[in-house]
Amino acid sequence: MKRSYLSVAVLCVILMMNIVFTQLIVHQYFFEHYVTVLIYCGFNILLFPIALLVYQQDRKRKGVHHDEQ
Amino acid sequence: MDKNNKIPFQEDNYTHNIERNGERTLDRRGFMKTLVGAAGLFAVSSLPWGAVAAKELMGLSDKGYPKKKIADVSKVAIGDSVNFSFPGEHDSALLIRLSENKYVAYQNACTHLRCPVFWVKEKGEMICPCHHGKFDAQTGEPTVGPPRRPLPEIKVKVENGTIYAVGVKRYEA
Repeated sequence: MKRSYLSVAVLCVILMMNIVFTQLIVHQYFFEHYVTVLIYCGFNILLFPIALLVYQQDRKRKGVHHDEQ
Repeated sequence: MDKNNKIPFQEDNYTHNIERNGERTLDRRGFMKTLVGAAGLFAVSSLPWGAVAAKELMGLSDKGYPKKKIADVSKVAIGDSVNFSFPGEHDSALLIRLSENKYVAYQNACTHLRCPVFWVKEKGEMICPCHHGKFDAQTGEPTVGPPRRPLPEIKVKVENGTIYAVGVKRYEA
């Protein structure tokens, strides 16, 4: 089976961005920049469907049968 | 049915696996699933931050009190102080007229042991008599003595020659 590690790398980057955004949320909340908190919060929530999409695309490209999942 | 005739038959699952080589390890796909799960966890965990930030933005945490008359401007000379209570009957407070148009008001229970802080006009300081704590009249910050936290400030408004207390500033300490 041919393996592609592109989507693994993309997911790792997404996780890194999650960590960075969460840190920024906490810091901006402390500095009382509440609008900025909401923006980063939106980014963080948006990253989840993107990650899910990357995972599903990867599975589709492999053409995995359902009993193999 | 055919696969069941082999002994042991090929069975890829967690619970009935009897072959060590058939054990599942963290493979590439499993790792990706974990990453997606982590992204979901981050998304969920940032929700409460967004909620409290939105709450702050909508001003739900600012408590409103009905405005209360403190004194007439004509009766308070520059450098004088007036005792009043705000917002409740037992929350004693102190208004100081620092200059022609500058009024400051603080809840005057000392932040050390809640003795009433009073204004000394000659020295230009607020003093707590119990342990000689002193507070800066401009900001309410403690300057000398045991108190470490500032006095809670009361918002003051002057309308038609009358001084009103309109609210309590959010306490940050």
